[in-house]
Amino acid sequence: MTKNIHKVIIAKDLADLIPVFIRNRQKEVETLRTALGADDMEQLRQLGHRMKGVGNSYGFAKVSEIGERVEDDARTADKTAIDACIGEYADYLSKVQIVYE
Amino acid sequence: MNDRTAAGSTADAPADYRVLVVDDDLDMVAFLARLLRDEGLKVETAGDGASALMQVMTSPPDLILLDVMMPGVSGFDVCRQLKGDESTALIPIVLVTALDDSESRVRGIEAGADDFLSKPVKREELIARVKTLRRLHDTRKELESRRLAAEVQRKEAIRKTFARYISPRLAERITAEAGEHGDPFQGRAQRTSVVALFADLRGFTRLTEQNEVGAVVAMLNEYFAVLTETAYEHDGTIFNMAGDSLLVGFNVPFPQADAAERAWRTALEMVARFGPVAASWQQRHGLTVGVGIGMCAGEAIIGNVGSTHYASYTIIGNPVNTAARLMQMAAAGEVLVCGPLYERIRHLVPAGRVAPRGDVTLRGKSESIPVFAISAGAREQA
Repeated sequence: MTKNIHKVIIAKDLADLIPVFIRNRQKEVETLRTALGADDMEQLRQLGHRMKGVGNSYGFAKVSEIGERVEDDARTADKTAIDACIGEYADYLSKVQIVYE
Repeated sequence: MNDRTAAGSTADAPADYRVLVVDDDLDMVAFLARLLRDEGLKVETAGDGASALMQVMTSPPDLILLDVMMPGVSGFDVCRQLKGDESTALIPIVLVTALDDSESRVRGIEAGADDFLSKPVKREELIARVKTLRRLHDTRKELESRRLAAEVQRKEAIRKTFARYISPRLAERITAEAGEHGDPFQGRAQRTSVVALFADLRGFTRLTEQNEVGAVVAMLNEYFAVLTETAYEHDGTIFNMAGDSLLVGFNVPFPQADAAERAWRTALEMVARFGPVAASWQQRHGLTVGVGIGMCAGEAIIGNVGSTHYASYTIIGNPVNTAARLMQMAAAGEVLVCGPLYERIRHLVPAGRVAPRGDVTLRGKSESIPVFAISAGAREQA
């Protein structure tokens, strides 16, 4: 896991939406872990696809990037890779620093 | 799983352009709605396909942003249903898909989507696409309102043009049906079954000899007012007014199953309603006048006849000629009817008022026809 602080610049007019967005991403980490535990590759693929779409829409490119990897890894049922993605995702969310401009 | 509760919400923006955002990811819904509201648009949201369909049916938006991957009714299904329904087919639908998802785009095109938006969504791209679709929407509405205005103008022109031939009631009907079946007067000439009624004023020559021009015109106006009003009340079509004679057709331009009965009642009322006018002329001018009528049924040609400068809705054919000859023979207060027409109205005519004239050879005709003379005086009852 990386120790870097992830600085993200978000448009000011989205500021009031961000706390809920981050909370939903944190819940998403738990949902991903549950799906991985249940070997539910279809749900993992869908969750990855959703992360890919919503992440960078708000300006969180890393969320989209991890989401794309989860989606791809779910297609090949690569559980080890997915587990690594989930860890990276949780770490990212704990360190992300948001700047509104 | 998600902390947002967005489905069905409505913005306060005063704009009249309404966008429906449909996505099961409520963070995505909140994001899209925010950008659109920032542009001054009114935004409504739905969290699944079934709710979206319901919302569109109850309150159709001007644009739909539709996510493809939704549980239950998918974005493709929603798109297909809306594009397959005449009442919603024209609402533009933008499918929101992953940039690299070419399969979804192909399916979207097949489902009738108007445009696509890539996820992750770029603010500038979203606004540009919505603005383009809004411009198209405004242009379409403008064209539609112009088309409606032109349609109203066209119908008014038809109504004005033909109001002199027919009753206001019939003019309204023709105007209302003009959009569906075209202009009934402008179509090709057609041969059809008609009842022709010719009426004229017995004693007209003396009237013109004994009165000043101004008085003659005033009296003719009074006479024609009674006759045209009567014809219109029975939905007759006035084809011609010349001198003191009036030609009225029935079963044209629209079929009238009871055309013969209408013609008979018209004739009867023309004579009866002109009675008081004739009595006042008798009193004021010492004139003895009355209406004489000839009627006949048969096939005739109907159509606009004339040149590009002047055309007249015209009826031509044997029943018209016969009705004209019968009118010339009719005395004041008398209705002369050809045999076939009499058979259609005999149940309405009191036997004591009918005098069969036998077979009569009319002027200009080679064959004789059976003619019936009916007294339509003031005591007559239909």
